[in-house]
Amino acid sequence: MRGEQALTLVGKSIPRVDGFEKVTGQAIYGMDFKLPGMLCAKVLRSSHAHARIVRIDTSPARRLPGVRAVVTGKDVPLNLYGAVIKDTRFMALDKVRYMGEAVAAVAALDEEVAQEALALIDVEYQPLPAVFDPREAVKPEALLIHERVQDYRCGPDVWPEPDSNICQHLKVRKGNIEHGFAAADFVFEDNYYDHRVQHCPMEPHAVVAKLEPSGRIIVWSNTQAPSRERAGLAEAFGLPLSKIRVIGTYVGGGFGNKTFVVVEALACALALKTRGRPVKLILTREEIFCSTVTKHPCYVRVKTGVKKDGTFTAREVTAIYDTGAYSEKGEWVARNAGLAAAGPYKLANIKIDSYCVYTNKVCSGPFRGFGDTQVTWAGEQQVDKIARELGIDPLAIRLLNADEEGSKSATGEVLKSVGLKQTLEQATHNLGWTRNKLEPYQGLGLACVHKNTNPGTSSGALVMVHEDATASVLTSSVDSGQGCKTVIAQIAAEELGLPVEAISISTPDTDVTPYDFGSVSSRTTFYMGNAVLEAAREARDRILELAGDQLEANPADLELAHGRIFVRGNPERGVTLFDLFLPHRHSGMRKGYVLGRGTYTSLNEKPLDRETGQSPKPTAFWMYATHAAEARVDPETGEVTLIKIAAAHDLGKAINPAGCDAQVQGSIAFGVGSTLYEEMVLEAGKVVNPNLMDYMLPTSLDMPQLLPSVVEVGHEDGPYGAKGLADAAICPVPAAIGNAVANAIGVWIHDSPITPEKVLNALRSKKERQPKD
Amino acid sequence: MKEVITLRVNKEEYEILVPAKRILVHALRDDLDLIGTKIGCEEGACGTCTVLIDGKPVCSCLMLARDAQGHEITTIEGLMEDGKLHPIQQAFIDYGGFQCGYCTPGVILSAKGLLDVNKNPTEEEIRLAIAGNLCRCTGYVKIVESIAAAAEVMAGKT
Repeated sequence: MRGEQALTLVGKSIPRVDGFEKVTGQAIYGMDFKLPGMLCAKVLRSSHAHARIVRIDTSPARRLPGVRAVVTGKDVPLNLYGAVIKDTRFMALDKVRYMGEAVAAVAALDEEVAQEALALIDVEYQPLPAVFDPREAVKPEALLIHERVQDYRCGPDVWPEPDSNICQHLKVRKGNIEHGFAAADFVFEDNYYDHRVQHCPMEPHAVVAKLEPSGRIIVWSNTQAPSRERAGLAEAFGLPLSKIRVIGTYVGGGFGNKTFVVVEALACALALKTRGRPVKLILTREEIFCSTVTKHPCYVRVKTGVKKDGTFTAREVTAIYDTGAYSEKGEWVARNAGLAAAGPYKLANIKIDSYCVYTNKVCSGPFRGFGDTQVTWAGEQQVDKIARELGIDPLAIRLLNADEEGSKSATGEVLKSVGLKQTLEQATHNLGWTRNKLEPYQGLGLACVHKNTNPGTSSGALVMVHEDATASVLTSSVDSGQGCKTVIAQIAAEELGLPVEAISISTPDTDVTPYDFGSVSSRTTFYMGNAVLEAAREARDRILELAGDQLEANPADLELAHGRIFVRGNPERGVTLFDLFLPHRHSGMRKGYVLGRGTYTSLNEKPLDRETGQSPKPTAFWMYATHAAEARVDPETGEVTLIKIAAAHDLGKAINPAGCDAQVQGSIAFGVGSTLYEEMVLEAGKVVNPNLMDYMLPTSLDMPQLLPSVVEVGHEDGPYGAKGLADAAICPVPAAIGNAVANAIGVWIHDSPITPEKVLNALRSKKERQPKD
Repeated sequence: MKEVITLRVNKEEYEILVPAKRILVHALRDDLDLIGTKIGCEEGACGTCTVLIDGKPVCSCLMLARDAQGHEITTIEGLMEDGKLHPIQQAFIDYGGFQCGYCTPGVILSAKGLLDVNKNPTEEEIRLAIAGNLCRCTGYVKIVESIAAAAEVMAGKT
């Protein structure tokens, strides 16, 4: 474990460092960013789910007064991108594959002219048959949405099936699945479905792009991943990285929705044609629903073998992730979630098939939980069902089978930093799991989860200590609300022996701040935290060298704490950092500056075996969590009222405990919304409720009492032992609620969301099954 | 067609030339550069653009700028006094009542609309007052705590 000294700031719930600008309305978000002479951009989108583009005539739009540029797919030199599989068009070329796909874009003097110009663009489509159901799309005879998926460039651990709609088929094989089922006293087999929801960040996607006279493009964007955005844009426009500069604004929520680069690429394509006039593109709420990524709808079949005493002997899971028209990282959703699909249990025999499948619908992509929520919805509801049918306490059956330190995972990894059992005990204790009696139609439910992170990613940071004993951290990490700025400041301040107020955190700017994979996958505290730790320690070493000169002491004998450098064991012999730098105040630092550099790349991960998915380390760390829910059902209306959710999370180490609670509370709200209220409804590929009136987000009146808590089982590679948190905090919510509802009404609902109608149907079917007396 | 209208915002008068159909949130953000008022849906569903009109919370995307004439408009920029944060703003910092911060100005103004007329609100009253402000980050827990704490400060209890 790194960083074992006594901690003064890490582990403290200090207030967030970005409070003042946010509560006064002074924080500048992507939506707020303005430049002189800025043009307004609008996008023409496909009105067909699947069609060949015969012809696009943009000339009438170009002639409209006030129009400054019109672009189509031909205006992006390399019009093909993808986070892993390069299969996505920024703008359609010969074909559209979903309703909402960008076909052309316009930049004009104002919004009205831009809108008018869109209406003048003439697109002739030749409609094609479409496929909407992923269970149809996987069939060998299904029409192909991408003609030759095998020809796309793709990254590690991704295996498209040639001449099919399957862009990923992950296989995990452990032990012998037939023997496992043969050894069981009972075998349970169930089918589940988890539906499509949207992230709905409160701030829409917004970008400003400007071409500089040198040919360089500057982009201001509310992205979650500036460094990867720069790479994607450089590739698309055939430019070196140094010719693209991405500057991050404040971000009004991301949750995975602001990781892709489509919006920015459209703005750049226009900006290349407006002679230096900046172009601003803002998505409307309707466009966010119809053209940005959503959570993956998913069909899951789970088969579990179990002995009479509740011991699991085998688990087989088939998951079909519906990724829509383009992969948009769905291939990694299927990979990461596939690896977790058997649940956090000691199982000798596992068989997992995780598919990511194209359909003619809006794309699914990264969404809080990254696919794990879907398989947890299935697997954890089945665990409760098994427990109830065997007459075992759902907590006891989980404790009996739960992974622990040294357990072997589905891929054969020997697990470390496993706090699962502690989370089970803590969450159930906080909820009050053991009760003598429940009211009629009141229920308790439990779900636990393990969640991994993207492997093989990297973060860099620079720590610059200034001559007035303050410091700046240069980092590309985006604080989209999760609080990473505060965590980074705490780590830097801790290592430099400075107060948090003396640390400033930069805005992401790819010209200045080093590479970072992005604020995604619950990775920032672990990866950027390590990079900042290393950079701050390098800066500290330089300071100790300077102090060694002045104090005539060996730097190795010096310590830095509370803004003071002193000889270990002789605290009187020392100097404050402020005084150490005093001679440099007006002439600059003698050796130029004090700069610390840090980079963290996890190099220990190993690729998966193609046929068995086996890998001794498929992720940098695993997070563990348990949620326990209490619900009440109204048998007359079918309405579910949540009373309480207790959530316990093994996150390694809480750098800022109040911030961790906040992340858990927010993730639970996401889970509550998607379980009870939110649902994107599509008919023949068309989103029929693309607005916040018809798509119901949870309000302040819908939330139960929340009881978050942490378990700290330190990870050897994490900064101060920290792992990650937010993604894991949504995964168990739907299943915990589903189990509480089942406990209240005696029936499990396998298709999410749990609507009053489904509850009433379940009650009715239960009544019909009961013998009449 | 454009017309000259007079808006009284944060106790100052502004004359602006705007099209008759200019909605208030655009007048505030684009004509007066008061970008603290945010836009989330532009159809009155999310509460992000909440401002106070004569002390009452209103979605500024649902009101024409011309109709706001003759009324006292308060935006988030008008809350600080003598360089000091309003107790609600201070409570949001102290109790972590925000994450991404995008809904925050609207939520704070809804809270002000409540606390100015109800010095001692129950949790239920607080939840009801912000029910029109969608927040995607916090699960509302720390928002409610912040407003309750601000109420105590404003009532002189702490």
